[in-house]
Amino acid sequence: MGPLSSYLLFPEWLDLLIAFMIGTGFGFALEQAGFSSSRKLAGMFYGYDTTVIKVFFTAAIVALIGSQFLNYFGLLNLNQVYINEFYTGAAIIGGIIMGAGFIMGGFCPGTGLCALSIGKIDAFVFAAGGLTGAFLFAETYPAIQNLANSNYKGPVKINESLGMSSGLFTFLLIVAAALMFWIAEIAEKRFARPEITNEI
Amino acid sequence: MRKKITVILLLSGLVLALLPLSANRSFMVKPEKLLSEVLNPDVSLTVDQVAKLIVNEDSTIRIIDLRPTEEFNRLSIPGSVNVPYIYFISSDLYTYMNDRNITNIFYSNKSFYSNYAMVYARGMGYKNSLVMEGGLSEWFNTVMESKFTGERISARENALYETRAKAAQLFTQINSMPDSLKAVFMAANKFSAKKLDGGCE
Repeated sequence: MGPLSSYLLFPEWLDLLIAFMIGTGFGFALEQAGFSSSRKLAGMFYGYDTTVIKVFFTAAIVALIGSQFLNYFGLLNLNQVYINEFYTGAAIIGGIIMGAGFIMGGFCPGTGLCALSIGKIDAFVFAAGGLTGAFLFAETYPAIQNLANSNYKGPVKINESLGMSSGLFTFLLIVAAALMFWIAEIAEKRFARPEITNEI
Repeated sequence: MRKKITVILLLSGLVLALLPLSANRSFMVKPEKLLSEVLNPDVSLTVDQVAKLIVNEDSTIRIIDLRPTEEFNRLSIPGSVNVPYIYFISSDLYTYMNDRNITNIFYSNKSFYSNYAMVYARGMGYKNSLVMEGGLSEWFNTVMESKFTGERISARENALYETRAKAAQLFTQINSMPDSLKAVFMAANKFSAKKLDGGCE
C-alpha cells in the first residue's frame, strides 16, 4: 500500500505539496518545543540541556517502530523507501564540518530555518553561513570530487552489515536510546547551568 | 510518564525483535559501475554454451527459470529450477544465491526478465549471475530445431551439433515425463536452505 507517492503515482506537484505540509508541521513542532533557541542545541554539547538528543532520538525510534510494523503487516514496502547512499570518507569529513557548524552556530539546518522564520538575528547569520558553505562546496566540487565519492558503500543499512534482522536491530537501538537518555539526565544534573534560560 | 513511554517503546522493540523480519541486503553497487558491468558481454551465455554445460552435467552452475510456475511445469530446460520473477525480486536473494561457488544462469521466455534479474542480483552484490541470451525462444530455435544443411561437416561443427542433439534429447525426455514423475523430479530440484559446513554427520 505504501509509500503512497509511488503506489498511487502522485504527480510531482502533489509530492512537493505534501513535502511542504510535512515540513511546515515539522517546523511548527520544532518551534513549539523551543528548538528555535540556539541555547538548546548548544546545551547538548555542554551537557546542561539534552532535550535535543532525547527528542530527535525518540522521534527516530517511534518512526522506526512504526515503519517496521507497517512493513510487517504489508502496509508499507520498505524496499521502496529511499535510503541515502553511504560514502565513508564524505560522511566522516562532512560529519566533522557539520558538527563544528552546529556547535559554533547553535543550530542544526532544521532548527536554524525554524529560528529564521521567527526573525532571530543569529539564525540569519547561521543561514548565511550555511549558504556560503553550500556555494563553496559547489564551486570547489571538481577539486574534491574524488574525495566526496570515495569509499562508496551503497544505500547500506546497519542491520544488513551486521547480518541481523531489522526487528532485532530496532530493539537494540531502543535499549541504546534508553541508556543514552539515562546518561543524558545524569549529565544535565552534573553540568546544570541555572543561569541559562530559554528566554529570548 | 517518561518511564511509561520508555517501557512501551522497549516492549514494541521486543515484539519486533521476535518477528521474522528479514535481513535483506540493499543495492550495493554504484549505478554507473553496475551499468558498465551488465553491458559487458561476459555476463551472458549463448544457448550453445548453456547446452554444453547441461550435457557435461557441470556441477558449478545453477539454471534459474524465471517464468511462472505453470509454464515451467509444462516445459523447462533440463536441470533448471523455477523461481518466478515476481518472487525473485521480492524475496531475500540469499535463499537462491547463497553459494558463491555456483554460477547462476537466468532464463525466461525471451531476455527481459532474465536480464532484469541479472542486473538486480549483481546490484545486490551477487557477481555469480549470468543470463542465457534469448531465453527459451532461442533455446527452441538453436537447440530443438537444429539441423545441419551443409555438405561437409567440420569437427567443430560436429561437436556443436552433437551437443545440441544431446541437449534436445534431454529436454524431450524431461518434458515428456508423466506429470506425477515430473513433479517428483522437480521437487528434488527445489532450493534448500544452505547447510552448515562441518559438525557431526
